[in-house]
Amino acid sequence: MATETQESAKLAQLAHENPDEIEVAAGREREVLEGWVPDLASEAEVREALEKAFDYRGDVTITRKDGSKVEGYLFDRRSGASLNDSFVRVIPSATREKVNVAYADIAALAFTGRDTAAGKTFEAWVNKYWEKKAAGEKNIQIEPEKLD
Amino acid sequence: MAVPVSQAWTVATYVLKQKLTGRKKYPLVLMLEPLFRCNLACAGCGKIQYPAHILKQDLSPEDCFNAVEECGTPMVAIPGGEPLLHPQMPEIVAGLVARKKYVYMCTNALLLKEKLHLFKPSKYLSFSVHVDGQREHHDFSVCREGGYDIAMEGVRAAVEAGFRVTTNTTLFDGADPNSVRAHFDELMTAGVESMMVSPGYTYDKAPDQKHFLGRARSKKLFRSILSNRKKTWRFNASPIFMEFLMGKKDLKCTPWGMPTFSIFGWQKPCYLLQDGYADSFKELMETTEWSNYGTESGNPQCANCMVHSGYEASGVNYTFGSLKGLMQTAKAIFFSKYEDDGAMKLLNEWKPAHSAPLVQIASPTAAEKSSELQGV
Repeated sequence: MATETQESAKLAQLAHENPDEIEVAAGREREVLEGWVPDLASEAEVREALEKAFDYRGDVTITRKDGSKVEGYLFDRRSGASLNDSFVRVIPSATREKVNVAYADIAALAFTGRDTAAGKTFEAWVNKYWEKKAAGEKNIQIEPEKLD
Repeated sequence: MAVPVSQAWTVATYVLKQKLTGRKKYPLVLMLEPLFRCNLACAGCGKIQYPAHILKQDLSPEDCFNAVEECGTPMVAIPGGEPLLHPQMPEIVAGLVARKKYVYMCTNALLLKEKLHLFKPSKYLSFSVHVDGQREHHDFSVCREGGYDIAMEGVRAAVEAGFRVTTNTTLFDGADPNSVRAHFDELMTAGVESMMVSPGYTYDKAPDQKHFLGRARSKKLFRSILSNRKKTWRFNASPIFMEFLMGKKDLKCTPWGMPTFSIFGWQKPCYLLQDGYADSFKELMETTEWSNYGTESGNPQCANCMVHSGYEASGVNYTFGSLKGLMQTAKAIFFSKYEDDGAMKLLNEWKPAHSAPLVQIASPTAAEKSSELQGV
């Protein structure tokens, strides 16, 4: 679930219109999170940063308070009443096991992986399509990224 | 009938059994996602944007069978990613067919023709081919020139080989109802058993965020497409859900109607919205705060959704909820062409969102103003 900041376009639209009268649905405002290292000084900052990490489509690196690190895809978070009973769930980039890390054990968080969705808009595709068409290319497409 | 009688009977008896046992929340279709990787990279898709180590993972056949047993639905849809990229997909499908589950294997059909020999025709198996409209519409929607021709070649090969073939069409802002109706004609001519059609959902995770239909436009679009329908068209959808799309019926979302299982576990709350994961189906049903979802919840994430995964089950529930529901559904199936002069006028006066040569996209001049080029 995205944070209120990330949801601002939709929230602004819904504040002024009835959902049944909306012609074109607002998308979300995208934040550039790649490379971000959030401050985790307060409980609110910890919760906000981990919510954004849950929403992020790249890997993150978590440094525990004992100095150990977990790098991987943060696919779930479970928010409890305190930081001790809240935890994130990560699939490390090097293994397939699911790792749980309590919010209270997290010393640092960094958005270290590439945002795999960034910049791939329909406009970008159309723009590139016309460029390639003008150059005489055929079978124009967005190729899925290579996995190896 | 748009589905075999045996399938309609199986689903009807399943739903009635749930109602007779007093079960308030029950699933209708399991959305089984055995992998996320795909051989397309559509801008409107929010399913395939993951790091490479996630995209490389597959659910094992045993994982799939366990999820199916846990959930207990009579129908299993296999979306993804592209299921035909899964090395054990034939084994997974065969195992589900052996369990007498009605399987809809959702595919973009780019690999269908070459992999067809790995599957056996069965009344339990249907290839649900994703075709988003006529040639140019589909190619632009999936961001691949020539994609339509390959997909339709796969459709025709599967039909010829005796498989059940259905189609799935998702419509985004800019869809042209006249073209969609011509698309239905083409699909029926190609011999598909039945068609599914749904508005695109505002996937938060999708790279593209500007081409989603609001509810008002969705209803106008679907009213103009589905009114005055041709006798030759066969749809694979609850008639009540289709009336909902046309703005003729109010339905509340049934977010537990099509639960999703993937390498992350059971997705909370539904196929489209990711708000966490449960480790078992029981945990999903018992720990999800269901009142937080659906249009009536006030959740902005759900405000514009009219998608089959939330409302198809609502349509089925409406049908089996009362004698009136049953009668309305029977009338819709056997007698209603939805004659509507207003819808015909809407259709005749519909102006495509953009001018030729490709109705769905901006002109080169407008497109040149776009600054985002990364990754294309």
